[in-house]
Amino acid sequence: MYHNITGCFAVLYIPFYALQSARQKSILEKSALENRPLNQLSFEGIKTDIPALGERGNSDDMSFDLPAALLNSDGVHVLELNPAAEQAGIQPGMSTSQAIARAPGLLLYRRSPSNEQQLQQTLLQLVYRYSPLIEESAPGICTLDLKGKRIRKHQPWLRELLAQLRAIGFEAQAGTGPNPEIALQAAKIADPILEISGDSALLQSLAIESLEPSPFLLDILKSWGIRTLGAFTRLPREEIAERLGLEALSLWDRAAGRSAKVLQLVQPPETFEESIDFDQHLETLEPLLFILRRFLENLSLRIESVYLLIAELRLTLILDDGEKIVRILQIPVPTRDVETLFGIATQYLETLQATAPVTGFHLGVTPSRPANHQFDLFHGGLKDPNRFFQTLARLAALVGNEKVGIPKRIDTHKPDSLQMLIPKLSWSLTEVKTNVPPKTGPGLRRYRPGIIARVELNDGKPVLMHSSVISGRILEARGPWKLSGNWWDRARWETREWDIALDNGGIYRIAQRGTTLQDQWEVVGVYD
Amino acid sequence: MLSSSKIIELRKVLAERFPRQSATPSLCIPTGWAPLDSLLGGGLPKGAITQLLIPNISSGGAIVLHEIIEAMQELSRHVALIDGRDCFEPLADHPLLLWIRCNSVVQALKATDLLLRDGNLSLVILDFKESLEKELRKIPGSAWYRLQRITEENRNTLLAITRHPIVSSAQITISTSHRLLIDDLSRQRSDLVKFISLEITRSRTRQEYQYVS
Repeated sequence: MYHNITGCFAVLYIPFYALQSARQKSILEKSALENRPLNQLSFEGIKTDIPALGERGNSDDMSFDLPAALLNSDGVHVLELNPAAEQAGIQPGMSTSQAIARAPGLLLYRRSPSNEQQLQQTLLQLVYRYSPLIEESAPGICTLDLKGKRIRKHQPWLRELLAQLRAIGFEAQAGTGPNPEIALQAAKIADPILEISGDSALLQSLAIESLEPSPFLLDILKSWGIRTLGAFTRLPREEIAERLGLEALSLWDRAAGRSAKVLQLVQPPETFEESIDFDQHLETLEPLLFILRRFLENLSLRIESVYLLIAELRLTLILDDGEKIVRILQIPVPTRDVETLFGIATQYLETLQATAPVTGFHLGVTPSRPANHQFDLFHGGLKDPNRFFQTLARLAALVGNEKVGIPKRIDTHKPDSLQMLIPKLSWSLTEVKTNVPPKTGPGLRRYRPGIIARVELNDGKPVLMHSSVISGRILEARGPWKLSGNWWDRARWETREWDIALDNGGIYRIAQRGTTLQDQWEVVGVYD
Repeated sequence: MLSSSKIIELRKVLAERFPRQSATPSLCIPTGWAPLDSLLGGGLPKGAITQLLIPNISSGGAIVLHEIIEAMQELSRHVALIDGRDCFEPLADHPLLLWIRCNSVVQALKATDLLLRDGNLSLVILDFKESLEKELRKIPGSAWYRLQRITEENRNTLLAITRHPIVSSAQITISTSHRLLIDDLSRQRSDLVKFISLEITRSRTRQEYQYVS
């Protein structure tokens, strides 16, 4: 998809992108293993003693002013350097030992292409919020066409965007300009934001090399004494075209802020996932929870950028023995609230029994649109359904799944036939059907299980009862009330119940299971 | 050692100097069951514990429980029943009742703590009527005060049904001393309810139990 452009552009530039993404992964893993409090996990000027591979380095300063180098995936050669490492005399292509020899405190990070790709997706999702016309110019570089954006001042939203990137661990720079090339140059020299307008002195003073002319053209211009864009645009456009051809004409237009470059527009990916492979295997829950929270913060930020909510969490744990544990957690009421999501996921992880240490963790979320429902004025809804369902899970863990729920009677005459229904989200809006049978007599408090008793009969009627809990003379007995069912299958049941008044003042229901008078008696419950 | 009067005085000074936000006038949660609501002037006090004392074995405690649950259903309000000994016998379907069937007093207290902290359900009923007395006596007074604090913070209500006066932090204690007869088994519930007389046996102001705590 191509789009012709003129007007204003913004470029988001992450210097040392591969190095920064490797550093971000390293910080996250190290901080998790050290169980560092979350409030200390700030990427803004973080001071840490993360030395990267093999405990290299002796400084406790994690600032990017220290020499740092990115190694290739096998950890043998240097791929990328920060300026401090360059000053120390390290060059790309050197072996690890050569690099360390030049800078003993060198911080080394192993490259992680999957992490870089994931972060690039995050970058696209975040910038898409500010413009639908975006180009993935290069790894760590995004160009935004601001055509149609009526806001004249770009500083506030660019600051917001940079703050979001800082929150996920990136130090980025942003620049605006009349065409993508100038915006990119502005971004590269920005601290951290630089705006260059078409007629600004800054644009005039930019070096001619910033527009990357061909070496042949650059040599000619330098021989003419042309060093800056301002000097170049002071030359007559038509004569430049006549003497130096189309390339020079294009360069003149770009230098004057009249670019004809087209952006290759992209749509941000619709997948929202975060994953990490651990260099050191995890054997306890705390590091995993640390990373879970970080992932949720990132995903929540990404989801927010597309104005959606999280409806489902997909947790995948990769174990050392090759086993993969996958769990999908539905969110009762879609939300972006990190605390709520963290609570739901933590509750699952706390009960998880893994057979081996964790070597990788993957978290995906399913986005959803905000629910469109309105609570009824006359129906008491749940104030915080997500919290309620968390509490419900805790209650189930405390007393057992089958012991928590909404009681529903099963359509049978068999005593104590109930099922427990799990409340659903719609519970808060349940319509109550007033289908109550005629109410007779007091309620029964049922002993579960029934209390085994010895009952003496006189003339077929109970007169004395003895059990481990309740004993006494039976003052009055009414019955037997014969009940039976399922005579056609193996689940056959039969019982004869009596209502008795005991001399302790209690009225009880006792029953004899089976068909013969020798069958066991039990106290079913007490009327109250 | 300070005398008890000095301690009370000190607590009063502290309460005046650091007033609690929760000490705002309490509202009621109507249960919908007229005998109880009229007795309490509108319903169970919000942000407090009410103790329902039923000392006799068969005295209509389950009737009161069923009446409250059914009345809350008619008001379309959720209610949680924490059943201290898993002995509740539903007489009908209660779609807005959350029933937690516990096996021990400790379990029931933990469940109560969780539900009160949750704050989604305005009325939580804790039924200890059939729980063993020796287990109930082991509940430390601090546990009841903790539950009282939670109800205050979340502005919900706990109704504790017991045979003995064990809830030290209850704002109101109601009791009934009715005795059921075997003939009552065949009577209409509406007739039985008329014989159950509830009375307030103890009512403390919020300030009082704050000082005690």
